[in-house]
Amino acid sequence: MPPHLSRRRFLGGTALSTGAFAIWTQRSKAEEIDYGAGVDFGSPPSPPWVEPLAFARHGVPLPPWQALTPAVNPGAHQRYEEFAPVKFYDMQVSETLLRPHPAYALSPHTTYQRSVPGITFMMRYGEPVLCRIRNNMPSSLQGFGHPDCITHVHNGHHASESDGYPMDFYSPGWFRDHHWPNIYAGGDWREAKGTLWYHDHREHYTAQNTYRGLAGFFLLFDHLDSGREDDPNPDAFRLPSGVPDGPRTKGCYDIPLVFTDRRYDKEGRLTMDVMNMDGHLGDRLLVNGRIQPFFEVERRKYRFRLLDGGPSRFYRLALSNGMPFSHIANDGNMLPVPLLTDHVTLGVAERADIVVDFSQVPAGTHELYLINRMLQQEGHRPEDDILPVADSYQLLKFIIRSETGVPDPSRVPSTLRPLPERSAPVVRTREIRLDRSNGMWTINNRVFDPARVDIEFKRGTAEIWRLRTSGGWAHPLHIHMEEMQVLTYNDEPVTGGPLHARKDVFSLYQGDEMDIYVRFRDWLGNYALHCHNTVHEDHAMMARILIVP
Amino acid sequence: MTANPCRDPGTDASASRRAALRTLLLPAGVVAFGGGAGLSRIAAGASQPREAPFGQARIESDGTRTFRNVELHDQDGRRVRFHDDLVRDRIFAATFGYALCPGICRRMADNMRAASELLGPIMGDPVSFYSFSLAEDTPSRLREEMERRGIYGRPGWRYLTGPTEAIREIRWSFGFYDAGEEDTLGSPGTHTAMVRFGNHRLDSWNSCPSLAPPETIAASVVWLFPSCRRPSLPAVDRLRGSGAQRIPGFVPPAPLVAQR
Repeated sequence: MPPHLSRRRFLGGTALSTGAFAIWTQRSKAEEIDYGAGVDFGSPPSPPWVEPLAFARHGVPLPPWQALTPAVNPGAHQRYEEFAPVKFYDMQVSETLLRPHPAYALSPHTTYQRSVPGITFMMRYGEPVLCRIRNNMPSSLQGFGHPDCITHVHNGHHASESDGYPMDFYSPGWFRDHHWPNIYAGGDWREAKGTLWYHDHREHYTAQNTYRGLAGFFLLFDHLDSGREDDPNPDAFRLPSGVPDGPRTKGCYDIPLVFTDRRYDKEGRLTMDVMNMDGHLGDRLLVNGRIQPFFEVERRKYRFRLLDGGPSRFYRLALSNGMPFSHIANDGNMLPVPLLTDHVTLGVAERADIVVDFSQVPAGTHELYLINRMLQQEGHRPEDDILPVADSYQLLKFIIRSETGVPDPSRVPSTLRPLPERSAPVVRTREIRLDRSNGMWTINNRVFDPARVDIEFKRGTAEIWRLRTSGGWAHPLHIHMEEMQVLTYNDEPVTGGPLHARKDVFSLYQGDEMDIYVRFRDWLGNYALHCHNTVHEDHAMMARILIVP
Repeated sequence: MTANPCRDPGTDASASRRAALRTLLLPAGVVAFGGGAGLSRIAAGASQPREAPFGQARIESDGTRTFRNVELHDQDGRRVRFHDDLVRDRIFAATFGYALCPGICRRMADNMRAASELLGPIMGDPVSFYSFSLAEDTPSRLREEMERRGIYGRPGWRYLTGPTEAIREIRWSFGFYDAGEEDTLGSPGTHTAMVRFGNHRLDSWNSCPSLAPPETIAASVVWLFPSCRRPSLPAVDRLRGSGAQRIPGFVPPAPLVAQR
């Protein structure tokens, strides 16, 4: 590094170079960039569109005659008998060799059921589940990552002991039972969640462990969002349906997509900058664990469940032809009405469900790209500039099979799920200030102390939380267990648009202010509030919420 | 957890794994630079520098990293090489502080001392605590400061000083900088309230605020150990939630290495 350059400027320049690098990867073979002295700065060449989009297999419950051994301890769980599990899963966390591209090496990853993303859980409201998660990792790892684990379903309405609280981690050779009752918060069907994901939450090592592979989808269906586009129930949404199960993609039009960015060494081995506390940016953008895959689509509607899997990058997702699509859910929660838009913006852990109608693609067009127009050069925030389409990162190539439309029983209803009333009395207003002090990320000027209760919250009540940020950084703030409603954004009342929604991640950019309505119901115990830039989270940008009777 | 067989002891028997790593992928003479700026930087063949560039570590073919061997002096005036004497084969916690700083550095130092007391029996062997300072903090001043704090001569403790460029090098390579201070990055005068934790052999790195509770700092050290050899310390164990159970008959698998 030239000694006259500050580290920040050097990194910025490098990131820009690698950004351009990725673009060149898409467009041409101009990857042999000479940085001099035999040194280069990017992951090795990865010719695009050589592999199909991959999908995890569905989680498979144990057959009814097979019991978990040792037996589950009902006494360890809140309301276990009331929501007695009807399905049991046995999942292992273990190392697996995987590669994101045929030109790259097989690298050790930490995986759920030997897959990245981890197996897809297909869940239904009213069907309580017990999942045993075994830690079958080696006792130590060489390099980044930690063999301990604890799994958080983001953002399951689960009891504290099953929530994946960061201090509930356990080591290789141990297991933990997670009780997922799959109930609506407060028993209110308007509180239904749809697109959730699960990931490691091990204190201090969430970024390293999720980067190494510990994340997967957790999809929840009910009588409205039923997962059947041919549902005879007249109230059912009948959205495009059918979630791919590993290689079984035929007839599947409900497509989960997780976006991650990674960095590789010259041999194509996964690497991570563990010294950087700003946030980690990769120069290769992956979709469902593969670099720039392709996906064949029919001329009909598809539902895409978009997830920013981090660790630090923000996305502004659009189609390369500027085609509009329906935005139907924010953070996995159905909006009151679908929104027609040409882009969605995601901070880390945010989700957006959209419906794209490929029958509207002009005849003669056989290729289309899902692109990221967000420019981000530093780990702690994206830039204000929006990339022109021509310079955007191409994440996924759609190959449109046919010239004419195909039968499509799916629809996008004109109304979806109304917001619940904010009926619980507000007992308190609290400020949640996201800041930085002496090089450390803070919440209300404090770093995480697992022994300290930061927010004691009486179950069943409501509070207004005033989220505030300052400085030149952005924070996707996540609150566990319940979905919140945004009241104001920078002093403007929120009465429509994508923020008129139930949310669990609030992306706050420099100077942003957001007031949200918060309540916690049904469960007691410890939960977390933290920045979901996982590098910030691991460096103590977290607070402990204790729900009390 | 100690009842489980420790097939992969890590700290003292990871040589075979590292040898396997060495033979699998990288041709001889190829190293990668990581650390401070942390990007994958590959140098090959004749152009390979002997030492890592400023502020970076050299990632060796066995998966460990080598920092530049800048020279420092400890509280007793002994000459110390950064990588060889402080990092290589060690498990450690490192902070930057200044003996005369009455503010945050003093609170940091108090916190580190409290954490070291929690670590008690493993301080010195295998755990070291370092506090890096500036040239104006002479060895004798560092010694006085250690004596005042009651840590002089205690196992594992070293206070270190060196020229500005050496301290800047270490700050940079350990990731001590403030995202909000663009032009003072790596500046030796910046009070970054952070602890860098490292287990060199496993190339395992972590950090936490130096103003975090001593229990968190002690825990961060303990978490650098392989799980089957992790010391059991009451103050650390207390932080963890309960509810996990043993897998009957579990034998830890061998870690995997990259393959073509």
